Amino acid sequence: MTSVGTPVPRVDGLLKATGTARYTADIPFEDLTHAVLLQATIARGRIASIDASAAEAAPGVLLVLTHLNAPRLPRMRAFAKGGSAQQTVPALQDDRVRFAGETVAFVVAESQEQARYAAMLISVEYDEEPPAVGLHGDAYPPAKVNGQPPDYRRGDAERALADAAVTVERTYRTPVHHHNPIEPPVTIASWDDDGGLTVHEAAQGGVHMMRLGFAEALGIPRRKAGSIRVVSKFLGGGFGGKGFMWPRNILPAVAARLLGRPVKLELTRAQMYTSGGYRSETVQRLRLGADRDGRLGSIVHESTSTGSDMGEFPEPCAQITQMLYACPNVTGTHRLVRQNVGVPTFTRAPGEGPGSFALESALDELAGELSLDPLELRLRNYAETDPEHDRPWSSKGLRECYSEGAERFGWSARNPEPGSMRDGRWLVGYGMATAAYSSHTWPTFARVRIRADGTAVVRCATTDIGTGTYTVMAQVAADALGVRPGDVTFEAGDTRYPFAFPPVSSSGARSIGPAVRAAALAVRTRVARLAVKDRESPLFGADAATVRAIGGGRLARADDPERYDTFVDVLERAGLGHVEERKGYGVMPFLHSTASGIAPWPVGPLLRVATRPFAGRYSTYDFGAQFVEVRVDPDLGVVRVSRVVGVYDIGRVLNPRTARNQAVGGITWGIGMALMERTTTHPRLGKYTSPNLSGYLLPTNADVPDIDVHFLDRPDPLVNPLGVKGVGELPVVGVAAAIANAVHHATGKRVRSLPIGPAELLG
Amino acid sequence: MDFLRPNTFAEALALKAEQPDAVPIAGGTDVMVELNFDHRRPPALLDLTRIAELREWSAVDGKLRVGSGVPYARIIEQLGGQLPGLAMASRTVGSPQIRNRGTVGGNLGAASPAGDTHPVLLAGDAVIEAASARGTRMIPAAEFYLGVKRNALEPDELIAAVHLNAAPGPEQFAKVGTRNAMVIAVCSFAIALHPAEKRVGAAVGSAAPTPRHATAAEEFLAGELDWDAPKPLLDSVKRRFGELVAEAASPIDDVRGSAAYRKHALAVLARRTLGWAWQDHLGKETRECA
Amino acid sequence: MIEVVPSEGGVVPAAVEVGLVVNGEARRLVVEPRVTLLDALRERLGLTGAKKGCDHGECGACTVLVDDRRIYSCTTLAVMQEGRRVTTVEGLGTPESPHPVQAAFVEHDGMQCGMCTPGQVVSAVALIAEGHAGSEDEIREWMSGNLCRCAAYPGIVAAVRAAAGGAS
Repeated sequence: MTSVGTPVPRVDGLLKATGTARYTADIPFEDLTHAVLLQATIARGRIASIDASAAEAAPGVLLVLTHLNAPRLPRMRAFAKGGSAQQTVPALQDDRVRFAGETVAFVVAESQEQARYAAMLISVEYDEEPPAVGLHGDAYPPAKVNGQPPDYRRGDAERALADAAVTVERTYRTPVHHHNPIEPPVTIASWDDDGGLTVHEAAQGGVHMMRLGFAEALGIPRRKAGSIRVVSKFLGGGFGGKGFMWPRNILPAVAARLLGRPVKLELTRAQMYTSGGYRSETVQRLRLGADRDGRLGSIVHESTSTGSDMGEFPEPCAQITQMLYACPNVTGTHRLVRQNVGVPTFTRAPGEGPGSFALESALDELAGELSLDPLELRLRNYAETDPEHDRPWSSKGLRECYSEGAERFGWSARNPEPGSMRDGRWLVGYGMATAAYSSHTWPTFARVRIRADGTAVVRCATTDIGTGTYTVMAQVAADALGVRPGDVTFEAGDTRYPFAFPPVSSSGARSIGPAVRAAALAVRTRVARLAVKDRESPLFGADAATVRAIGGGRLARADDPERYDTFVDVLERAGLGHVEERKGYGVMPFLHSTASGIAPWPVGPLLRVATRPFAGRYSTYDFGAQFVEVRVDPDLGVVRVSRVVGVYDIGRVLNPRTARNQAVGGITWGIGMALMERTTTHPRLGKYTSPNLSGYLLPTNADVPDIDVHFLDRPDPLVNPLGVKGVGELPVVGVAAAIANAVHHATGKRVRSLPIGPAELLG
Repeated sequence: MDFLRPNTFAEALALKAEQPDAVPIAGGTDVMVELNFDHRRPPALLDLTRIAELREWSAVDGKLRVGSGVPYARIIEQLGGQLPGLAMASRTVGSPQIRNRGTVGGNLGAASPAGDTHPVLLAGDAVIEAASARGTRMIPAAEFYLGVKRNALEPDELIAAVHLNAAPGPEQFAKVGTRNAMVIAVCSFAIALHPAEKRVGAAVGSAAPTPRHATAAEEFLAGELDWDAPKPLLDSVKRRFGELVAEAASPIDDVRGSAAYRKHALAVLARRTLGWAWQDHLGKETRECA
Repeated sequence: MIEVVPSEGGVVPAAVEVGLVVNGEARRLVVEPRVTLLDALRERLGLTGAKKGCDHGECGACTVLVDDRRIYSCTTLAVMQEGRRVTTVEGLGTPESPHPVQAAFVEHDGMQCGMCTPGQVVSAVALIAEGHAGSEDEIREWMSGNLCRCAAYPGIVAAVRAAAGGAS
């Protein structure tokens, strides 16, 4: 009986459903003080004067930090250069205003109401300068895009385009997106008498990564970084928005050190829009060249996104184009245009999300030019091997995803003529798109302890962002140990536990899983070694390496399963309270030597290596096919998604219940991206015009139709011992394009700018 | 910030007279948003939730008086038969949680051009009962909305109630939103038929600085409809009605939609709701004859 | 009697005493009038089940029952609920003895990160009592006052359906 692969209910489900799970903001603290940010109301200029005297005199106020009195803070090392920050410029260091929403004062008081009130009393006068807004200025190449050069070339795409029988040249646009987890970011920092710092943080950024960031920001030498503890047990959603160190993470620790009291900073929803990154708007020019049979001869994908003086994160839109189809001539370029807005960052399905909207829309347009079924066009360009790196895939079930998806959806019923299908007054459209995502394996360690009562505890410093890590990792450990998942507790979110990379880029299952499995097997082997040397054990004299787990915490001889010992008995006879082992996975060799939990942070090299796994012998991607049905009110232009079928090759499915939930969530992100999500910026002032949830629309329950999720559930034999790839981001990819394609099929109208609002559709 | 807690409406009016800049709060669904975000910090809040009389409604001779503190949820549950248009509009307000707290009085007090009940109140000839320590006056809905978030209340006045006739004929309300629930209207439209008076009420929301009557459309339609011998409507009549409704709007481009789209959509909503309302009327006539 | 709570020094409102019946228990607390019901529950009474997602009445994470009706506790003041019965997610059940709706949310995996879950659960309890669990579409519409960014919506609908079926 194995647990992996079965739909074990979420082990923390009841804690969450009863309100018992403590999120960072819920943690009670003695002597707590409350902080509030005051943010710049202009996008560019200088603070001419700032008067905090009234705030300082207000009841309950303990501290007001401005650039006039804040401690000096260092510029942070960028994530792309091995650091922990996206925005490298610290807060409150000078009178410059670089974007609307930059912190200009930090107020601490006895209560949050007092701090909020005091912040209102601070008067700031600005010398305004006209901000750079929009992707209109001069474009420049970024240093790196996801660790790779900004430009990619194979063959000669321009020449092939000129020679192509059929070409499509289109420009696609996607707007600014915000992660908008339901939990706004929150930090509680407290110093102890020995100079140790404890930070409770809603941290998708990974507790170990944040520890190093705090050490850097606060001038604590790396060798003393162990005095910093970062804790993040329950996280109310991340999606990339709580990754990395931002100025808001650092200021509470700075203030707490000055005050000698714990400081809590809870951002408002509006402040969240400017304090932790966002997905840049993009302009993407796609040029496709094909022969009359639809075989692609050339693709040029040129993407432009937002640049900043404070840090650099190019939205890596073109990278999916480089690997997805068998096309001999491909050019992908990334450019930035500097704007007076904050630094963009990773947002669920970075690159592939907006990139696939452009690529998969353009393919649909090509299919139209050729009068070819859009699915058939994909099949004619199916890449049997990775065309980007010219090597085999570790696994690729995309062909089966297409056929299974088409079957489940009823794709064959599609009348190719746009506007030909109706249901009453509604126009009906079918659309499809390919999904692919480069999920990663990051270095992760786990420690597994078998206790005297035969139960086990697994510790790993990852954080569970809601994906089900607490549940799934207990399943993985249970199978490796030969116990029930209920006998295993997975503990996470604490720098006291073994090092883990942040749970980003769909890496959780494929990074943590193998580490947990390796540590569990190692500790099981240790128990076996104890038994085979113990004359009282039925296993005495056996070869420890061949002893098998037969379930129920029992270890049996390979040659005779009737002769077995138990964890409980072995430990009792050995007089041990517990035994434990720690193992790592996905770790670079040079990390081994310093894997003490405060490993150095060689992120740059890791990025390069992890995208080229298996020493460059195979390429690993998650694949899928998205099929969508929409209904369009032809008079009002209102679009409703009425059906979605998603079929995915994510390798082995560890827990179908939690995996399905994530897939549904990803598809819903795609629906939001297609039809409603957008942060608007004032074209002259450079400020977000509606940083709230009535301006930035998220899909509600009533916007999510029947969603049919199917996994091929085929272990990838090469990617890792569990055979698992990634599920978190793949289901987002292609959905927006599939919806746009379906809208075109329903109406004959092609919308190339997201979101597809009624006005855009009718205009 | 003072916090004023009257137990009776008379006490509330006395307090409002003393402190005209006190902001009345009942459901809180609008006022609290401003407060929580420090958009405004009024010198005083006037809590109306203790005043039982504001939460009552009554019907006398087909005339309804709906207290300004009656939440949308009760309008939907208790008044759907008599005030179908108001109930329909209330049903589209925010979410169930907001409808349990939010009130028509609050919608009127805020006077947002996007308030969902305004077009219905206009089309149904609602009269707003404004009270102050000086006395009470009745303000027709058409005279109530003065500008974006501005209404005809004097500083010392509070909204006591809204007066409406039990719908004398079919009423319809429709709005366009960007998602299926929890939406602020891109634009909205209400129609009320008054067969006895051979008159039509029609009004637009979220399409001008204030909600407003589509007067030309009302007059056109009243002349076109054959009230005494009702028969199915000509498409040309629906189309012209829609055009006149769109002409009544003076919308702007904003994040929710363009001015051009709003005009287009209003014409569509007007045609559709007219079709439904007239169908209702035809059905009623047929039943009465049979 | 008119009760006027003046501000002190013209700026900071003075505190007032409020009586609430919270999860069946009479509680008295002293709060500034500008304290929301949500903050009173979380900061003064230690009931952190209701969450602050937007403080704006737009996300639903703060949903509680007041006199058995669901409302957003972030857009009402604690003092305005004087004498009323407030039920939070903690008042419905515990991990040891969950409410049927809470158990159904786990069984149907109507959650991921869990931040919106307490609000969803409270909303679902009210929805079932209101009689709005007749079909999946009806549940979708009447659960739309509670956003879930993880979008565990199909699980939520299944949980409400199951719990409503079990209750009838």
